[in-house]
Amino acid sequence: MTVIRAFVSRSAPLMACLGLLAIWQVAALMLKTDSFPGAWEAIKAIPSILGDQESLINILASIRRMAIGFSVAVLVSIPLGLMMGRSRAIASFFNPLLMITYPVPKAALMPIILLWLGVGDIAKMLVIFLGVSLPVIYHSFQGAKAIEEKMLWSGAAMGLSATQRMIRIVLPAALPEILTGCRTGLVLALITMVTSEMIARQSGAGNILFNALDMGQYDTVYAMIIIIGAMGIGLDAAFERLRARLVRWSEPAFEIPLSFA
Amino acid sequence: MNSRAVTTDILLGIVPIALMIALWQALVSFGYAPPALLPPPGLVFTRLAQQLFTTTYQQEIAATLFRLFAGFSIAVLLGVSIGLAAAASPAINAVVRPIVRVLAPLPKVALYPALLLLLGFNHQSKIMLVAADALFPILLSTYYGASMVEQKLIWSAMAAGTPRRQILFKVVLPAAVPSILTGCRIGLVISCIVVFLAEMITSTDGLGHVLVTAARTFQAVDMFVPLITISLLGLILNGLLEGLRNYLLRGFPEV
Repeated sequence: MTVIRAFVSRSAPLMACLGLLAIWQVAALMLKTDSFPGAWEAIKAIPSILGDQESLINILASIRRMAIGFSVAVLVSIPLGLMMGRSRAIASFFNPLLMITYPVPKAALMPIILLWLGVGDIAKMLVIFLGVSLPVIYHSFQGAKAIEEKMLWSGAAMGLSATQRMIRIVLPAALPEILTGCRTGLVLALITMVTSEMIARQSGAGNILFNALDMGQYDTVYAMIIIIGAMGIGLDAAFERLRARLVRWSEPAFEIPLSFA
Repeated sequence: MNSRAVTTDILLGIVPIALMIALWQALVSFGYAPPALLPPPGLVFTRLAQQLFTTTYQQEIAATLFRLFAGFSIAVLLGVSIGLAAAASPAINAVVRPIVRVLAPLPKVALYPALLLLLGFNHQSKIMLVAADALFPILLSTYYGASMVEQKLIWSAMAAGTPRRQILFKVVLPAAVPSILTGCRIGLVISCIVVFLAEMITSTDGLGHVLVTAARTFQAVDMFVPLITISLLGLILNGLLEGLRNYLLRGFPEV
């Protein structure tokens, strides 16, 4: 019985995917317009995109930019967020700045950054960096703030220096929250990647998507939507695996990431 | 927290913003950045002040706000009702959970071309994109808040003779309000971002369109103005939501 239940809960997301694709197919058959091909036509167009060397290189370049932007953002944001969580002065120093930058769409900075840095990888990676860092800082901050003072006192009593306390007590205790932030950041990196490439049409997955839209190649448009969507779901699932290994001792507050744009 | 600590906090918080503007001014005045690429802050802010009083710019803001509110309201309605339903009924939960798992990490901007093709280039496609993006944080925090309601509260209500149907609205919903509002706050920020992006991609009006037009004609000053406007709008809306929160949660213990 438990085996069956485990199987059902494992395959539920897959069933949901199939169900959504089926709804799409039925809707397309009912609407019958050129601009809305069915799921099957879109899936059939995927091999020709991934088989084409140029588009494959484009998509891989997108992933590379995203990976670099994401890693740098995480490396910078976690220490900053943790320090904000532990020191009231640092927190009140950075909080207003973060508050005014939060509602600004990071990809909208693209045209300005393009003026300064030119149409290159650096501009796009910078935008991804900006997009990822805010949620990671925020969650690290919340995680570090919620730590029980007693643990830090005991650490200090046992002779740990401030830096050691930060690495050996604050970091592990805030890890579940930090990872929630990273998961949000991951989805966000993907979104920023697509939008930045759409604004600076030069290369990448977003470029293929919006060029296909402009040229009316509707099956390519929908195939790219599936590819980008699959990337999001795949990355998220992979990250969830990693999270489960790192913080097996803690229950996730949200099982599903809160995606930001 | 005493008032003196708050004043120090505010003063400390102004420092990085002031530093940033000073650095910006310095970059321009000492000639590191040509004004065509980085206009001086004074110019940008006077331009913003001028623009805010022209009817054309007010119309752009109105267009953006209309889409933002329409999308956000749809997201709140759907998110809260689906979230509550999923928390109340295991059957609905079994259907909703896997679908949300698949759709939540999906980058919604990638769906925008599909929405454009289906709904046209008008308001609808942008409103739908905003709604799709703001929906999941609201849905998830509603679900989370509603499923965390203390069982004792429900039992007491049942013991007091409240019908099952009314428990949802009289006990579960009010108890989930703090969590729902947190979700709304995230959803609101997302709405600001998404509406701007959608207007940048295809639009004939709105703040995003103002930015794109300025970028195409290399008017650096006009590129900064809509960005600062959306940041201000985000701050104001956030403040309003905070006010609503304080009003709705009066009497709740501080969280």
